[in-house]
Amino acid sequence: MEAPEWVDNAVDLGTTIMAVEFDGGVVMGADSRTTTGAYIANRVTNKITPIHEKIYCCRSGSAADTQAISDYVRYYLEMHTQELDDQPVVKTAASLFQLLCYNNKNNLMAGIIVAGWDKDKGGSVYNISLGGSMIKQPFAMSGSGSTYLYGHCDAQFKPGMTKEECVKFVQNALALAMFRDGSSGGVIRLCIIDKENVERRTIPGNQLPRFWEG
Amino acid sequence: MENLNRGGFTFDLCKRNDLIEKTGLKMKGFLKTGTTIVGVVYKDGVVLGADTRATEGPIVADKNCEKIHYIADNIYCCGAGTAADTENTTNLISSKLKLHQLATGKQPRVITALTMLKQMLFKYQGHVSAALILGGVDVIGGVVTPSLFTIHPHGSTDQLPYVTMGSGSLAAMAIFEAFYKKDMTKLEAMTLVADAIKSGIFNDLGSGSNVDVTVISQEGVEIHRGYEKPNERKYRSNPYNFKKGTAPVLSTSTLEPLGSRIIIEDVTMEG
Amino acid sequence: MMMDDLKLTALPEKEVPISHHRFEPYVDNGGTVLAVAGSNYCIVAGDTRMSDGGYGIQTRHYTKVFKLTDKCVIATSGMQADTIALRKRLDTQLRQYERDHGKSMSTPAIAQFLSNTLYHKRFFPFYTFNLVAGVDEDGIGCVWTYDAVGSHERVRFSSQGSGNQLIQPLLDNQVGKFNQQIVDGPRELSAEQALSLVKDAITSAGERDIYTGDFADIVTIDQKGVHFEKFDLKLD
Repeated sequence: MEAPEWVDNAVDLGTTIMAVEFDGGVVMGADSRTTTGAYIANRVTNKITPIHEKIYCCRSGSAADTQAISDYVRYYLEMHTQELDDQPVVKTAASLFQLLCYNNKNNLMAGIIVAGWDKDKGGSVYNISLGGSMIKQPFAMSGSGSTYLYGHCDAQFKPGMTKEECVKFVQNALALAMFRDGSSGGVIRLCIIDKENVERRTIPGNQLPRFWEG
Repeated sequence: MENLNRGGFTFDLCKRNDLIEKTGLKMKGFLKTGTTIVGVVYKDGVVLGADTRATEGPIVADKNCEKIHYIADNIYCCGAGTAADTENTTNLISSKLKLHQLATGKQPRVITALTMLKQMLFKYQGHVSAALILGGVDVIGGVVTPSLFTIHPHGSTDQLPYVTMGSGSLAAMAIFEAFYKKDMTKLEAMTLVADAIKSGIFNDLGSGSNVDVTVISQEGVEIHRGYEKPNERKYRSNPYNFKKGTAPVLSTSTLEPLGSRIIIEDVTMEG
Repeated sequence: MMMDDLKLTALPEKEVPISHHRFEPYVDNGGTVLAVAGSNYCIVAGDTRMSDGGYGIQTRHYTKVFKLTDKCVIATSGMQADTIALRKRLDTQLRQYERDHGKSMSTPAIAQFLSNTLYHKRFFPFYTFNLVAGVDEDGIGCVWTYDAVGSHERVRFSSQGSGNQLIQPLLDNQVGKFNQQIVDGPRELSAEQALSLVKDAITSAGERDIYTGDFADIVTIDQKGVHFEKFDLKLD
């Protein structure tokens, strides 16, 4: 007798995540759905995870793997900060993620976007793919829902957008992906990081931007 | 061997076992607790609940087992999955936490137990089949913080105000999604938890028998073993009696009782 | 920092499980049936739970015992879809027989006919486990027990289905009185004793078999005809 699939299946962040740079900061966004097979194990997940005061990451792939990696990087980066006696830069955090993802690529299912603010570069976004490559991008997206977004984002992205324009850009893209992708959904989680502060926003499921729903 | 100085485990034997199973040789199944376990945060603490059925395939192996495990005086943990795994995992972390408590001289925190559990389960890459609900209260500087987590077998965790796990988790979650409200009283929370467990007991074949409830708050812990018993046996015939001599006596022999003996042992110090 | 430090210490080689889906023609909907025959009665019981083959209940009110004639019932566990198909075949053939011959088919004849029907599908069997129970032309209680492809045997008592392994030893002991040197009282159970035993047996199966429960149909067959009775089991 076999147990139902959602008993044994690994917990997956079938996800849509993204991040955008603006002048002086970043906007990060994610859906909130965590699934085990067809069952939604958590409908209000926070996939935007703090790594340091002004460095956060968006997680996609296996929940267990990405949580473990984030815990390692948070620990390493805290140690690094103590030795440095200064705030770490985003690239350091991204490199740590990249090294972990690259060295353990056979065992991991993790697509991560690292973003944040540092006094070196201001806002910056790094995309770490499944195989462990690291690319600095003006905007990045990942997860199963991102496949629906490339065309839309290429058309809508304009260099030099303001903070609120970026928020709108991220919101629209996530809403579109959450509508099309079965394993993305729930609420939109946002995290806006600049020199002054880190702001978290949540857009409930009944207040998402709406588009053609034929 | 490139991995000689690496930590962690190798799972070569698991691979071997998979191969053996592919040849058609089936290993005896372990005791599974096809389970309904739930937890909910209320005004002053956490209420945990569990059914009491343990199964071995389609057979009920234990009609009244305990699935709410002790972790520390302020922390308890519900377990679903392979019975041996949940039992040993919670015991191990309970012991580690006690040593930690003795070393620090402070009450253990729920987040510490959570981190220990998730790191252990991640290390075993899902081969330890323990799906857990961890609940407890932290009292820091007089401020009481109830917290509730789920831990999946691969080591991922979620924090939520109401959670369910096990094969009956859908049935139980249906009750929570319909009737959960913020800041419930203790009685409201206990009733909700019992309703969720009963939903699992009646609608999921892997769950059954009684409802166990444990309440954790600043006042302490209340353990309600058999909080509800909705499945008492409904019919019993006259007792089956057998006359003495029904079973044939094939042979008889008499054993002399063992007398008390004195055992002398030499104890020598080495070095 | 050394590169090696950045290997996650917990990770071994991972094997990707291969899952391929193919059509499964059979599902076991579970359930237990049993029957005890006496010299002038026959008692049949079947629970009414129908499960989805996993941990789900599809209905709590599916009757496994089906009246074929005034002297004969069939009790079937296994796959519900095949059970319905099998009943339909038997029922139409038995009606036809009644038209042709102006009388119902006798219980022993039905027993042989079921075997033929099952063997007819020897290489794509009905996934059903049957008991034929009733009284014969002389009013003597009788039970036939089957496998899925028609092998059958006349017995005094039998059980089939998911609770079979729990119930059969009890019947062997209490009805068959196997391996007992002294047997108290008459060798055969009275109808009342048999009824009590059958109720106890199906209740006990419901305690330990997850696919047996909800309610039971208790069916008594004698010269007067077929009598159905509902009986409560546990719902968990």
